[in-house]
Amino acid sequence: MPATNTGPNGARGAVRRALVSLTVALACAAAAAGQGRAQQAGSAPAPDITGSWERYGFGGGRGGGDPQAAALRPPPAPQPPLKPMYLKEWQARVQAAREADAKGQPLATGYTHCLPDGMPSMMAAMFPLEILQSRGQVTIIEEAFTQVRRIHLDRPQKALADVEPGFFGYSVGRWQGDTLVVDTIGIKEDVRYQNTPHSSQMRITERIRLVSPQVLWDEITIEDPVTLEKPWTVTYAYRRTPDYSLLEYVCEDNREYADDKGVQQIRIGPAK
Amino acid sequence: MTVRNRWSWLGRVAALLILAAVHPIGAHHSFAMYDHERTLNLRGTVTRFQWTNPHAYLELDVPNRSGGGVTHYSLECTSINMMQRAGWRSSDIKAGDRVKAVAAPLLNGQPAGLLLEVTLPDGRKLEPGVPAATTFKRTPDTEN
Repeated sequence: MPATNTGPNGARGAVRRALVSLTVALACAAAAAGQGRAQQAGSAPAPDITGSWERYGFGGGRGGGDPQAAALRPPPAPQPPLKPMYLKEWQARVQAAREADAKGQPLATGYTHCLPDGMPSMMAAMFPLEILQSRGQVTIIEEAFTQVRRIHLDRPQKALADVEPGFFGYSVGRWQGDTLVVDTIGIKEDVRYQNTPHSSQMRITERIRLVSPQVLWDEITIEDPVTLEKPWTVTYAYRRTPDYSLLEYVCEDNREYADDKGVQQIRIGPAK
Repeated sequence: MTVRNRWSWLGRVAALLILAAVHPIGAHHSFAMYDHERTLNLRGTVTRFQWTNPHAYLELDVPNRSGGGVTHYSLECTSINMMQRAGWRSSDIKAGDRVKAVAAPLLNGQPAGLLLEVTLPDGRKLEPGVPAATTFKRTPDTEN
């Protein structure tokens, strides 16, 4: 093709294409720059909660050195307001675990089988969390067991029958001012939070917001018409850890196992 | 008490308070199977350092005090993520290294324990960051 051609595929066309490409590239760059913050319909951009976080304020732990820690410590978690028959089951489980520990024969848990926490336990964040805000989605990763949950923004919640029960359920969220309100359904009944029984109808509502530039709270309210007498609210607090990048975590070789009585044991050896 | 000693003492108290505070959520796995009332002070040769999640393991051959031969111990550590945050690297220990280990023994009498502290051939001490490590009563080391 001659360089002097002035047709659509010629030099002038090439300049036009280059300009279009540049415009597209600039638009993409601008979009990418804005992608760190979730889009909020209409007004101000959503708060920037992207980054890594560590659980904070559990009785003066790792956040204890922060002079603001006490003021930003969340309220203590109440016991689950279970209906009497479920409360009895829960108390029996808690008591059995306590007695087994006292005997030095701890009961195996999901962790013994390399299973992740699921929701809402993963938000207790024994290991660090990472939050990523992208267009239409907030993603939360917990380092332990590489747990991932996706919060779909500004979408209607599905019907319960359309959600296959799993560890993390199906979450939709929307920014209400400075608060990300998240609705989660579809948690498997054997994925339990603090040993608490729940039905397939359990619904988790979270209110996630910055209570200071460096401290994020997740107020988690669990509702279950079958097992709970009233909504159960637990709040976790996290502090920003800008210098920390989450490490990989693969449950590769768990030498702890459950024996035939459900007691946790460990595999001795191999020597080499 | 010198200024330095006073700070060291304060540091220990602070560490104890912090460990006690994180205890309720510091671990995914129960360490109730280990004896909290005594520790083993083991000197031996590493046969393997298993760097895996959920927990790392230090495999140690310890010469018997009488009758010759060795007893093999499996010493459980914490998550390699916790260990990395505490400064450990997978290359810190290798087979053939002679180390000293302080471990809480398994209550059921099997030759295994929970590693609380290890002294490397170069004298460096590492702790795997067992939650509430101070709740394990240390048995004095008589072989110093």
